Amino acid sequence: MSSTKSTLTLGQRSKLFMQKSPARMAFLIALVLYAITVMISPGSLNASAIGSIVMLTLLLSIASAGQTIVLIGGGMDFGVGAVMSSAAILTTTIMNSQDGRFFPLLFAALAMGATVGLLNGICTVKIGLPPLIVTMAISNVITRMQYVLTQGSPMGYASPSFIKSVTSKLFGLQFLPSIILYGLIIIPLVFYLLNHSRFGKQVYLLGNNPVAARLNGVNINRIQILTYVFSGMFAAFAGMLGAAYMNAARCQIFDEYAYNSLIAVIIGGTSFSGGVGTYTGSIAGSLVMVVLSNLLTAMGLAQPTRNVFMGLIMIVLLIFYNREKKVRQ
Amino acid sequence: MIDTLKNSFTRLRRSSFFAGFVLFIIALVLNAALQGPASFFSVKSINTLFAKNAAFILVAIGQSLLLIAGTMDVSCGIQLALVNVVTIMTHQVWGIPFGLSCLLGIGAAVLASIAVWVCCSVFRLPALLASYAMTYVIRGVNVMIMSVPQGKVPKEWYMAYDSQLFGLIPVSFFAILGVLLICRFARKTPFGSHIYAVGGNPRNAFAAGISPVKVQLKAFLLKGVIVGIAGLCLTLMIAAGNPLQAEDYGIRSLSACILGGLGFGGWGSVASAVFGSGFFVLIQNSVYYFFSLLVRLIPGFSVSSYWQNFVSDVIIFLGLLMTIVTAKGRQEVLREGIVRQFKRIDYRKSPKESEGKEVTTHE
Repeated sequence: MSSTKSTLTLGQRSKLFMQKSPARMAFLIALVLYAITVMISPGSLNASAIGSIVMLTLLLSIASAGQTIVLIGGGMDFGVGAVMSSAAILTTTIMNSQDGRFFPLLFAALAMGATVGLLNGICTVKIGLPPLIVTMAISNVITRMQYVLTQGSPMGYASPSFIKSVTSKLFGLQFLPSIILYGLIIIPLVFYLLNHSRFGKQVYLLGNNPVAARLNGVNINRIQILTYVFSGMFAAFAGMLGAAYMNAARCQIFDEYAYNSLIAVIIGGTSFSGGVGTYTGSIAGSLVMVVLSNLLTAMGLAQPTRNVFMGLIMIVLLIFYNREKKVRQ
Repeated sequence: MIDTLKNSFTRLRRSSFFAGFVLFIIALVLNAALQGPASFFSVKSINTLFAKNAAFILVAIGQSLLLIAGTMDVSCGIQLALVNVVTIMTHQVWGIPFGLSCLLGIGAAVLASIAVWVCCSVFRLPALLASYAMTYVIRGVNVMIMSVPQGKVPKEWYMAYDSQLFGLIPVSFFAILGVLLICRFARKTPFGSHIYAVGGNPRNAFAAGISPVKVQLKAFLLKGVIVGIAGLCLTLMIAAGNPLQAEDYGIRSLSACILGGLGFGGWGSVASAVFGSGFFVLIQNSVYYFFSLLVRLIPGFSVSSYWQNFVSDVIIFLGLLMTIVTAKGRQEVLREGIVRQFKRIDYRKSPKESEGKEVTTHE
């Protein structure tokens, strides 16, 4: 093995490293990007800036938890953004800046997320069209529903205690926002789901080879639909936290999270073809996305340039991870 | 006489676009009934229908070419906005004649198509995802060229677009007819059969001496020109510039094609796109008249534009649902196509070939 390794060129070796441990690679990329940010604007190296990075990373990680599960199962969920926005609107509308409505809200938001996820799942499984198209069509419908139900301008604010539970600083430390407490619940839950539950094993099997999964007695349709339901619920929870972070909500407030969560998950090494991927990778990918966005801001790039950047990054990622084989072999 | 009629009906029933055709006729009848036949078949109403929706129908035709060639492009919606922005801004900033900026607009669409082709065919990325990423790039470029909606089109140009030849046939209809004739002509050339071969199975096509990359380039070029013409139709229709419009045309055209009976790769015909998009257009039109009927029937009932948008998106979704019915016979083709869109490994190859993973090839 060592003899083959020594014959590899640097490029091949780095490609091997990327494919072997994308999560480590993503953490490295994030570190490098952050170093560049600090070099460009030294002022960004302070506790509160790190705190906001932690906050946004956790938000994106929670949103991309479901996306990870769906991608590992061989699907794709573009409804994450729309569900998050809807959950944010639900939060401000139900709470209406009054305390003590957390549990009804939690129930309503999760039910909403689960319903949308169920719809996504059933439609992708039954229609047999690319999940991208189906989930996008459904998320468009949900986005329009936000406008219809709120007449374009959602009312209310998140309750003060809920906002405090998300944004206050732990132990008075600027770089420890209390959203970490929610993360401490969600992240182990996702790890349990993916790595230690029967459902997780079945998802990996399904993504790896649906035919083999079916022949092994896995109800592949049910598992696939369940992945979407989980995705909807995680997205809804992320939307609630996001509403607390943003204080107020508007229509389509978190729509970009659909695309961002997808890229974050792929940076983390989960493959489009399913069956491969870890949640650690997705968290690392989320960190890369947040740090990158900070860097683009520090460089003073306007929104259109950032759009171009995001598109190109996606294409570069696809080139690294997802090329089809040559016709000529 | 009756026999030939029977024969041609049988042929129609067996053709790939039959389901789309039936849906189209249903939508036509529904729309005519809701609007009132006299009003629906008037010159003015037909003209408005064509002028407003020529862009969408053209995009669907372009998309159908790509689907036949085994790829797709979700970014062609935002490419319409690119054409719009380039046309308006070159005319406004450089002061060149409007006809010339129209050509530049078509050129921009062709360039964008080539960029998507490079991603999909040269880099061999999954078409759906790569073209979605391109949507972001093109959107950014649009806003760089034109930051806020602005600009206008010379009056004689948009008046000409909105007029009818011989007082009967809308000008926009000729744009569609022209494109269809080009497609018809292209079908007769070797390229016309090559795209079916490449879409059906690139490997077999390659073994038969057809270069899939080149054929897909031709398909993308043709699609670029068609999208360019569609962008001009859109520009002349709204007579202003907006960098962030028509983005949903990409996904809508895709669903129109699938609804019309196209599968992924090597199957179906351009007629599917025409009937599928026609169905969408007529249903959307019907929704408008349905709402205005409700407003007239129920006093005090008012509809916001939010509702109309909502209903039209629900219809797109229902249209996708309907593909369960129309595409039933082609489920297998569709599923294979989807696998090809997402999986790195081609399952239809012999198992020996698909075992060779990229990492192990270094040894």
